[in-house]
Parts: sequence; structure tokens; C-alpha cells
Amino acid sequence: MTAQVGALVRAHLSDRRRSLLAWGLPLGLMSAFIVAIFPSVEDALSKAVADYPPALKEAFGIGGLTNVEQYLQAEMLSLIVPLALGYLAVRAVASGLSGAAETGRLDVLLSAPVSRRRLVVAGFIATAVELLVVLLITGLLTAAGSVLSGAGLAAGPAVAGFANVWPLALVFAGLGVVATGFSLRTSVVTGSVAGVLVAMYVVDLIGRLDPGLSGVRYVSVFKYYGNAIEDGIAPLAFCGVTLAAIALAALGAWLFDRRDLAA
Amino acid sequence: MAVIETDGLTKLYGKARGIEDVTFSVEPGEVFGFLGPNGAGKTTAIRTLLDMLHPTRGSARIFGLDSHRDSVAIRARLGNLPGDFGYGKQTSGREALRLLARLRGIEGFGRAEALAGRFRADLDRPLGQLSRGNRQKVGLILATFHSPELLILDEPTSGLDPLMQEEFMELVAEERERGCTVVLSSHELDEVERVCDRVGIVRTGKLIAVERVAELLGKALRTVTLELADAGDLADLRALPNVTDLQMLDGQVNFKVSGDLDVAIKAIAHHHVVDMELTHPTLEEVFLTYYREEEGGG
Repeated sequence: MTAQVGALVRAHLSDRRRSLLAWGLPLGLMSAFIVAIFPSVEDALSKAVADYPPALKEAFGIGGLTNVEQYLQAEMLSLIVPLALGYLAVRAVASGLSGAAETGRLDVLLSAPVSRRRLVVAGFIATAVELLVVLLITGLLTAAGSVLSGAGLAAGPAVAGFANVWPLALVFAGLGVVATGFSLRTSVVTGSVAGVLVAMYVVDLIGRLDPGLSGVRYVSVFKYYGNAIEDGIAPLAFCGVTLAAIALAALGAWLFDRRDLAA
Repeated sequence: MAVIETDGLTKLYGKARGIEDVTFSVEPGEVFGFLGPNGAGKTTAIRTLLDMLHPTRGSARIFGLDSHRDSVAIRARLGNLPGDFGYGKQTSGREALRLLARLRGIEGFGRAEALAGRFRADLDRPLGQLSRGNRQKVGLILATFHSPELLILDEPTSGLDPLMQEEFMELVAEERERGCTVVLSSHELDEVERVCDRVGIVRTGKLIAVERVAELLGKALRTVTLELADAGDLADLRALPNVTDLQMLDGQVNFKVSGDLDVAIKAIAHHHVVDMELTHPTLEEVFLTYYREEEGGG
């Protein structure tokens, strides 16, 4: 089993090698730019943020913009990176399942003695690795931006901030697998899960803005995302969200095993 | 023991037609063809056998194993060319081959290089840059490189040029010699006639007949064109019950014959035959024969 899953993971990553750069480079360069300009905008930002309504600061996780870590959290890690990685996750997992069904690749792979569940496991693991690589590229470019500009981004908090995106994005990979249990059309899978991604973000935002509606945040995985660059990774949330992603993938594998392979 | 055995295999898609009550068997070393027009249900039958589609009812056994429960064990022993073969635009045939070899636990590429030379297939270019025919060659190599016990080929010559179609026919003959069982689908009667031992005729999702190829052709109407030196009496020929549509024009005689050709040949034996042409039935004509039988309760 390990050899088959390993071969499938390597093939999946090889197929998506361009995607690693296509997502990692823009996110990394954008993040590096944000970090690099911080020294020149620091003073103006501190004054501007002091005037922000407290609810707005709470909603977007802006505790203050007095250091580069807070600025990176506000500009990249509170919105852009989680949404981008969540969408990448569903795209990646869909390419190995519904995308493979559309190109005919699934029929060829399932001519070999490999079970559908192993295909799903391999697709999910490959997506997890792809997310890590994209986060690594983004993190490295961000660090380079900090070094070149002298912004002084602390390595530990930055690693925690980027690493914390991984389980969150993985949940959307798990939802992508569940969606392939119902449809083998990539547009349907990515569209529906991207809708859930945005809806979860908006629900969490509403819950943060209105304390009376804070209960709705429990249906959103963003509630458990936190602000790891400032507070560190919350181990319980990190592991819980990762387990939820694995549980979703397992459910998706069960559904995928039971369905007809016709788009 | 039959290599493939189905019993009332049925796949329905809601109100849409799939296949219904398909029962047949394929013996070891046999080349069996599914013959039918596009949309008849050939691909559905194959995909149900391969567990890509789960049957609504009925069952299929391959190598004596349940086609659903034991599908992984079954697929270890077969090769499959899906209809309208595709894989991914960026991947080369060699990359696909490498992955399939690993999934099958095979060291190296088996006889893939030899097959690539034989079919003049380019294994190194991305499949998206290949023509349909050249992609099909790669698909054939992926299906056969590991010398399986059973080959399932859905429209295998689709897109191949005539030279490569010939090469394919030879490959199937060699596979049979090797002891491999072959199941293929086609809408080309000539192709089926040349390579298959038996044929299952599929119409609107139902297997309406399973025949040996010779019997199939014998039942269908063949057109005979004769050029006679003498414009003699053809009453003997006209009187034969299996001869129809007899026409004479300027020494040329046309008629259709079904079943045993020998009696028709004997009926014209006393004439001086200058030339003779026998046209095999088209697929449509074969189907018409079976449709008539079916409608007549035969």
C-alpha cells in the first residue's frame, strides 16, 4: 500500500509542480513586499490604526500595527493567505480526483490494482504536501523581504503564522474530497467548496463584529484559526482542525468508493 | 472456467438507458467483441465489468472473482484501454507508464519499448501534444505492456491509421497465441470480423445475440454481383428461398443472399461466370438482420 500511495503522491506533485510556483511565488512576493515596506509606513500606520473602531480591529485580527508581525498578520495572514490556500487546497485535491475523471486519467489509474480509497488518500496527502511547499515558498520569500529591508521579522512567530494556515486549508481539501463523492465535475467541486470557504469566512467575520451573533462562529473553521503570529500556535485547535480535515477526507473516500465513476 | 461470466448485468441511470440483463461468458483465450452503434451500451457494459460503474442488479465474475468486491485483485491480472483514451495534457507516455508500472509492482517497463517501436509511438512527448491516433497508441501500450491475462479494449482502433490498425490486428492475434483473453468493443464490422471468435451484438442496452463471427456473417444478407457471358435463365437461382432482390441488367446480375452461400453458387454453376463480387454486409445490414429476428420473436 505504501509503495502505491507513495507513487501516486509523487506523480500528483510532479503534475502540479508548476502550480507550486504559480501559487507560492505571487503569495511570497506579495508577503515580502508587505514586510519590506513596513519600516517606511510604520509611523503612519500606528497613528491610523489607533483611530480604527475596536470591533474592526477585532474582526480583522488587528491588535495594533506597532510591529512587522502584526502588519503581516493584518495584511496577509488574516485574509489573503488563508483564503488563497483554502482555494488552492480544493483545486489540488480536485485535480487528482474530479480533474482526473474529466481527463480520463482516473480510468487509466483504476485499470491498475489500486483501490479508490488509496487514490483518495494519495490525493489528500499530495495536497497536504503541496500546501506545505507553497507555505514554505511564501515564508522563505517573506523572510528574504524582511532581511533585505531590515524589517526585523522574527522567525519563530512568522513560522507559527504561516504554519497555522496549513490545517485550515486542509479542511477545504477534505471538503473537496467530500464534494467529489457527489460530483466528478471540477467546476462543481471547486465552486461549491470555494463558496463554503467564503461563507465560513463571512460567518466568522459577522460573529466577530456582532457579539450577539458570536455563536454562529462555531460553524466556521475560521473560529479556530486564531492569530498564531502573535499568540503562537494553539496546539488543541491545530490538532483538532487537522483531525477534522482527515475525518472529512475519510468521509469523502467512503463516498467516492460508493459512487459511479462517470462525470 | 470462463474468464468473464455475467448474469443479468444491468446498469440504469435514472430514466436514461444503460445496459439491461446482459448475460454472456468469455472463455479463456477467446477474442470476444461487443458490436454495436455508438450509444448502444458497449462502454457501459465494459465500465460495469471493470467496477467503474456499480450494477443496478445482476452480477459479473472475472477469473471467478466478484467484479465489485474483488476488483483490485481482478485488475492486477488485466489490461484496459478506456474508450476515448486520455490521461492529462502535460504528462508524457513514459511518465504514465512509470506510474502504472509502480502501481503494478513491476520493475522496468516490461515490453513497452518494443511495443512503442512497433506502433511508432512517442513516449516522451506530452500527451497533449499528440494527435488522437498517437495518443491511442500510448493507450494501447499502457494496456498491454505488462502482458496481462485479460485485455479489455474499448474501441481500440479509434483514431489509428490503416497501417496501425493492421499492426493492432496482429497484436491481438499474438495475444491470443500467448493465451490472453481479449474483449473489445467496436462499431466496425470488418474489425470484429477479422479478430474476434465470437461477437455480442448490443442494441439499446441489450445484448440481443451472441454468435460466432462466421454465423453472424452467414445470417446477414450479402450482396452478390455476377457478370455472365450468357443471358441465360436464372429461374433456379430465383427459386431459392434465401435469395432476394434479384436483378439482371446487360449481363450483370445482382442479388442478395442470406445463410448458406453454397446453394446459390450451385444454382449458377451451369452459367459462364466472367466475374463475381461478394460484398459483405455493413454493420447496419447485420443489425437489420438481428432486429428483424428480434421483432419476429426469433
